Amino acid sequence: MTRAWDPAPASRERLPTHPEPSSLVDILERVLDKGIVVAGDIRVDLLDIELLTIRLRLLIASVDRAKEMGIDWWEHDPTLSSGARDLAAENRQLRERIGTLEAGRAAGSGSRARRAESAVTPSTRSRKSSQ
Amino acid sequence: MSDCAAPPLAAHDAIWVYAIRHSGDHAGLAGLRGIGRGQIRTLHSGPLTAVVESVDPGVFSAEQLQDRLSDPAELEALARRHHDVVAAVAALGPTLPFRLATVYRTDERVRGLLDQQRDEFCHRLGWLAGRTECGIKAWADPDSLFTERGTAEPADPGPGGRPANAGPPGPADRSGAAYLSRRRAELTARVEGQRLAARCGEEIHAALGRLAVAAHRHPPRDSRTDVDEGLMVLNAAYLVETAQLSQFAESAQVSAAAAGALKVVVTGPWPAYSFADGPDALTCTRSLALRSPRAHLRRTSR
Repeated sequence: MTRAWDPAPASRERLPTHPEPSSLVDILERVLDKGIVVAGDIRVDLLDIELLTIRLRLLIASVDRAKEMGIDWWEHDPTLSSGARDLAAENRQLRERIGTLEAGRAAGSGSRARRAESAVTPSTRSRKSSQ
Repeated sequence: MSDCAAPPLAAHDAIWVYAIRHSGDHAGLAGLRGIGRGQIRTLHSGPLTAVVESVDPGVFSAEQLQDRLSDPAELEALARRHHDVVAAVAALGPTLPFRLATVYRTDERVRGLLDQQRDEFCHRLGWLAGRTECGIKAWADPDSLFTERGTAEPADPGPGGRPANAGPPGPADRSGAAYLSRRRAELTARVEGQRLAARCGEEIHAALGRLAVAAHRHPPRDSRTDVDEGLMVLNAAYLVETAQLSQFAESAQVSAAAAGALKVVVTGPWPAYSFADGPDALTCTRSLALRSPRAHLRRTSR
């Protein structure tokens, strides 16, 4: 801490006020953590968002200010970027597709019983079924 | 039960809820725009009114909303707009703010909530009447607290430890034992400084708690936020009589100075976000362990 501290703040009767506009962090602290919580019809998982605000609290008063300072960690954060979510969805779709294809092959070789299981671990199951 | 003039709603609309207040004159909300830039409307049911906005159900679906809220810039925009509306409502009288992203499918569902919780919401609104939320944040410098106050009440330096304020060792004192002793003294100073800083926050909170109707401590922020300002020792909200707001702010400064704080910031007046759960919720505090930042980080860092 390199700031020049007031040598004896306690010696004064009161500290100066620091009027400031509502900072983003102060607002987030209230609109995300406080207020009436009822289960609306549209459910949003606020856990990720709370994590995000915790990180926002580390440094900044506003997102614009953060960008000015060159802070853009959320662009690369896999838990927060929507790009990663898309990737996860794509992964899931691909896995399902592989499962279907493998199941189709297994069924073609006459081992129908394995079909349902093939969705679990497609590659090993279909190997076993072809033995 | 007549609502503000509004176009007929689609079957699958999305209704964003900002706040609840007593039914009455809502002229102060005319022309106000919300998070979707739509007109702010009011939905009445008996003595209660919900302040809402119809938003585009496509844009505010659960998935879309989750994505928007996970983007810092969008989150900021939504939070600020939500807050602006809530603040405008609170300017009219006692208000129960809703947490961000409370969305219903129809107006009827919102009225259902008003009916269902009527007594409870009325009870809370009555409690908030004539009162307002004031935010107080205070910072302290553990090092200077230790220098100023650590000497008056020295903590146990540990077995065989030298007092941390005994000054630097002489040039001849270069033995290993002296080094260890010095290290221990430094450690004691640091621990003791942290303890004094925590106590500084407790003192301010206790003093202000006596003046307030109710008090709530928000989780402390990461100290890295405040590298230039010392350590945040208090981050709290107080429910105070609106008429005594300026006196309260004055008291905060006096208490902070008396407790040895470096800086104090008074924020607000806020809508009563921190007290929306009413007087009965104050006795049963939410589990801090589950809500602390560290708990979140642990849970999500698998």
